[in-house]
Amino acid sequence: MDKTVSTMTEKSPGASGQHGGFLARLAKEFVRLPGIGQKTAQRLAFHMMKAEKEEALRLADAIRDVKERVTFCTECRNIAEESLCEICLSPKRDRTKILVVEEPSTLYAIEQSKAFHGLYHVLFGALSPLDGVGPSDIRAHELEDRVKSGEVKEVVIATNPTIEGEATAIYLTKLLKPHGVSVSRIAYGIPVGMDIEYADEVTLLKSIEGRRELT
Amino acid sequence: MPLYKTKAIVLKSQRWGEADRIVTLYSENVGKVRGIARGARRMKSRFGSALEPFRLIDVTLFEKNAESLASVSQADITESFGILRENLALMTAAARMVNVIQALTPDRDPNPDIFQALIDGLSSLESESDSELCALLFQIHILGHTGFRPQIDHCAECGTYTGMVKVTFSPQSGGIICGSCRDRTFDRGFSISPGSLAFIQQARRLPFHKVTRLRAAGQVRQEVEQTIDAYVRVVAGKALPAVNFTITEKLSS
Repeated sequence: MDKTVSTMTEKSPGASGQHGGFLARLAKEFVRLPGIGQKTAQRLAFHMMKAEKEEALRLADAIRDVKERVTFCTECRNIAEESLCEICLSPKRDRTKILVVEEPSTLYAIEQSKAFHGLYHVLFGALSPLDGVGPSDIRAHELEDRVKSGEVKEVVIATNPTIEGEATAIYLTKLLKPHGVSVSRIAYGIPVGMDIEYADEVTLLKSIEGRRELT
Repeated sequence: MPLYKTKAIVLKSQRWGEADRIVTLYSENVGKVRGIARGARRMKSRFGSALEPFRLIDVTLFEKNAESLASVSQADITESFGILRENLALMTAAARMVNVIQALTPDRDPNPDIFQALIDGLSSLESESDSELCALLFQIHILGHTGFRPQIDHCAECGTYTGMVKVTFSPQSGGIICGSCRDRTFDRGFSISPGSLAFIQQARRLPFHKVTRLRAAGQVRQEVEQTIDAYVRVVAGKALPAVNFTITEKLSS
């Protein structure tokens, strides 16, 4: 759906100039961002106009740096500023474990939890039997190459619990098991803080199947 | 019909926006319909896993008018078909079934026979050992229900009775064609044996719960697969995507 800024015209304060005004142009750029509507875009544009010059230019520099300097790690395809990302470079990480995610955003969510101390592998997608997305469309064979190197002992699959994520998990298990590594899947179950009575039957079934003994 | 409740099978579920999903359903009362489920991807979404493909659900939809995208208000699982998510071959066969429904059925045109056939088709995958054959039989069956039944006893071009002899099947013509029509139209088509024609005829005639008793192997299986795939591609106007996945899976195993 095309989002346009229609209310901010050349007559708007500070909006004079070419191409419908510099301010309107800024609002037009903001409105392209996900979750930003017309009103919010105008508010952000006015905020940037009123802000200190240094503050506004810091934002511009940050955007420029992201576009010009941020790349993908050659090893795990996480977001990086050099050829290897911070995680792959860190000597503190456990190199015998790889956690597999669909997108870098999942990697960041897991990193925030501080629950995993190994390395990662970003697939950039998931297999889809419905859309015909096959193993060559994601970075499955690059993962196999990493596993073949011999250092890896365990692969944890943290793809989403959707049909695509499940297909990917099954495929990767078939692909990696013959290399003698342990392949595990993150647990399914009731989210913390939720009332059990509102869980759907499949989630309940999975959480009962995956129960563990208390010690 | 602003608010209505119906049984439906989830054909497709796509990510939309921050945390929403757009789902394509084949419903008992409305036929194929698309709806937006707001917040469906959030951890504590009230939809849980009800909007995952292949689920049979009780769904409540709200829509302002027939042209607008419906809003999914509530969805509860009636049958999860959970085993279809635990095996790549079953998942691929189920994907072939829902993709053929997606490609061949018009929006908002309810057909109780198609709805029941889809439930029977997904159920058959849970019990039958040959999932690829189930998907093939399902495709033949659905072609009949959607008005694209292939013509296999008369020439699809001139109507001449050909009988069950070795003839040419032309996907573009919608069935078998006689020798003179083949020469006239320069349509090479596929050569198809009487055994394969008889198999398609049986699959077309029997109700789906009986059709899964049919068995095909060797040349007949290969011919029927090739013929139906090519015909579905012509009718749908595109190749159905699940086929690619089947090939890659075969290569990997």
